[in-house]
Amino acid sequence: MSTTESSSYKPDIPREPVIQTSEKIHIELTPNDLDSLAATRFVRSPSAGATVLFIGTTRDTFNDLPVSSLAYTSYAPLAMATLHTIATTLLAKHSLTKIAIIHKLGECPIGEESIIIAVSAPHRQAAWRAGEEALEETKKRAEIWKLERFEGGEGVWRANRDGAMGVKVGEREGGEEKQPEGAVA
Amino acid sequence: MAPSKAPTGHFSILYFAAASTFTNKASEHLPAPAEARNLFSKLEELYPGIKDKVLSSCAVTVNMAYIDIDGDDAPDLELVIKDGDEVAIIPPVSSG
Repeated sequence: MSTTESSSYKPDIPREPVIQTSEKIHIELTPNDLDSLAATRFVRSPSAGATVLFIGTTRDTFNDLPVSSLAYTSYAPLAMATLHTIATTLLAKHSLTKIAIIHKLGECPIGEESIIIAVSAPHRQAAWRAGEEALEETKKRAEIWKLERFEGGEGVWRANRDGAMGVKVGEREGGEEKQPEGAVA
Repeated sequence: MAPSKAPTGHFSILYFAAASTFTNKASEHLPAPAEARNLFSKLEELYPGIKDKVLSSCAVTVNMAYIDIDGDDAPDLELVIKDGDEVAIIPPVSSG
């Protein structure tokens, strides 16, 4: 039995964005197009001298294989809680002014935004560091899964922790390659 | 994603990504109470091969809290999954 997906697979995704927003933290999982300008506006503040914006877009290849389309699915309530914990932790750790983490769910056409992270801080060093850390923590922990469909083939569930074609879970035994992952950027 | 409420005497189990593909389901209801230590063997009975191919790399949550049932000395083996609980099989994540 294979754990790859047929090309007809349609992930179960919320029709409306799932949003948790407060004065300093905005977390969102959405089937809509991501709006990097809105994220930037959310974190902008007179007390912040630096805003860092990260936009992750979906690539058209994986290990030189052409990817035809991508879709994201999620355990949304748990992913929201995890992202909120990441944001709260970084806000305190780097003395941030504000932070926004927004992730796409459902179909994500190649070359379009799949994740947006915006952070603001009084000074640039904290903003740079927190922005990078927010992305790394999200990729490591958020309960969100990417299905990559290759041209002329089946879909494959990726796993950030092993990079490689690893997510073809059923075919991973033996010869498993470990390599740094880079779904975005 | 919220599955229908589990009928009395059952818990809900959610399958994501590779777990969903293997079971061909997003969720289902299984009889409760059930011991956490028997969860993977129960799923192996229902879906032969799932333990090695999928579950061995998965985490498990009960009511959105991670439990550790990996290994003979794992701290949550004694945990009892109760009527109405929501269990989820969490494969390695891949956001970004």
